[in-house]
Amino acid sequence: MKRFPLAAAMAAFFVFLLWSVAVRQAALFLVGIGLGAALAGARFGFTTGWRRLVEERDPRGVVGQLLLLGLAATLAMPLLGAFPELQAALGPPSISLLVGAFVFGLTMQIADGCGSGTLYKAGLGVPLNMGILPLFALGSFLGSVHLDGWLALGQTAPVGLVSLWGVGGALAATWLVLLAVGLGVRRWAGWQQAWWDRRWIVGAVALALLATLNLVIAGQPWGVVYGFGLWAAKAATALGAFDPAGNAFWSQAGNAQRLTQTVLMDVTSITNIGILAGALWVAARDGGATAVRRLTATQWAVGLIAGFVMGYSSRLAFGCNVGAMLSGISTGSLHGWIWVPMAFGGTLIGLRVRRRFGF
Amino acid sequence: MNATVDLPAAATRRPLRLLFWTALKIFLVWDFLASPTIDLRLEPPLIAAGSGQAASGGHCSMPGK
Repeated sequence: MKRFPLAAAMAAFFVFLLWSVAVRQAALFLVGIGLGAALAGARFGFTTGWRRLVEERDPRGVVGQLLLLGLAATLAMPLLGAFPELQAALGPPSISLLVGAFVFGLTMQIADGCGSGTLYKAGLGVPLNMGILPLFALGSFLGSVHLDGWLALGQTAPVGLVSLWGVGGALAATWLVLLAVGLGVRRWAGWQQAWWDRRWIVGAVALALLATLNLVIAGQPWGVVYGFGLWAAKAATALGAFDPAGNAFWSQAGNAQRLTQTVLMDVTSITNIGILAGALWVAARDGGATAVRRLTATQWAVGLIAGFVMGYSSRLAFGCNVGAMLSGISTGSLHGWIWVPMAFGGTLIGLRVRRRFGF
Repeated sequence: MNATVDLPAAATRRPLRLLFWTALKIFLVWDFLASPTIDLRLEPPLIAAGSGQAASGGHCSMPGK
């Protein structure tokens, strides 16, 4: 697609949101476009960064991610302290989180993309990720349907470091742990390896700024997974296949209300649409030159199944690399810090599965 | 099961991309038309920070609210 008609279509959708939905939603659509352009333009893949660290001892992607976490926390935590109406991404430490994060880390390597990665690669036109997206949504929906049962296995109340230690304490603790992880990464990679890369640094700075803008406008941190679960829940309800009144998650007041509204009123949905559009714009700029590998039928089947399980586990883990890791850690949620080692453990298994199927 | 699925860049990507974006557009149009009309008088504040209104959106980190 040419860039001009695409830009015109995006502008028309922006005006439609402005006129018929809400000014806030129009603004969040622009934020989403920026996120998609930053993710796709810098090829800022959380999954790829972890894979390169493990397989090639290349620390540049993970260093970019650590910088993103540090910058986002530096911007978000003072805002949370100053504006009580802003919410942190507080998920409950639980069995659900442990299992979900591990399985998510495993499957994201097979599916070659986390929540945001699947979105921007689908926007770029990568066939497997386009196929995964609806299955990710279905998995996310089913995860939300079963979430109550998973939480019954054991949970504690969410822990917010900003309310626990104040802005200064939470920020200092966050930076200290990030620096410790950075040193560990450096040691693993070896001191002779390149430390950073312009692409990852630019992506980290852009994403940190846009994630902060999302927090300021929406009042809550950037997320991906909830929107997809909502889309599948709406479709299932409309088809008569699901009764939200009989489900613990979807009968809760906020979720039940969002089921009755258009998804264009949902903040996560609108940034997801923006990310797809932003990535599509980057694909148009690059002339559709994104490299695509041929896949065997087995690889397609394994990739699609992994995408479905990834959606399911993202709901159990209270977010993906964006909702749990980036938003959780940058807003001082303990669950973000639990999510990372569990997902990384899953990634170590996922890389072996990935190699087994020749991805 | 190990037969290679031929996915040369342009030939299969274009119809897949068309299918993907068409399905997304159909879903969004259906959803907008099937949902109750938005009451613009109840529009949320443009900037949540400083508005005094608690965020009302759903987020994946929350077990539900």
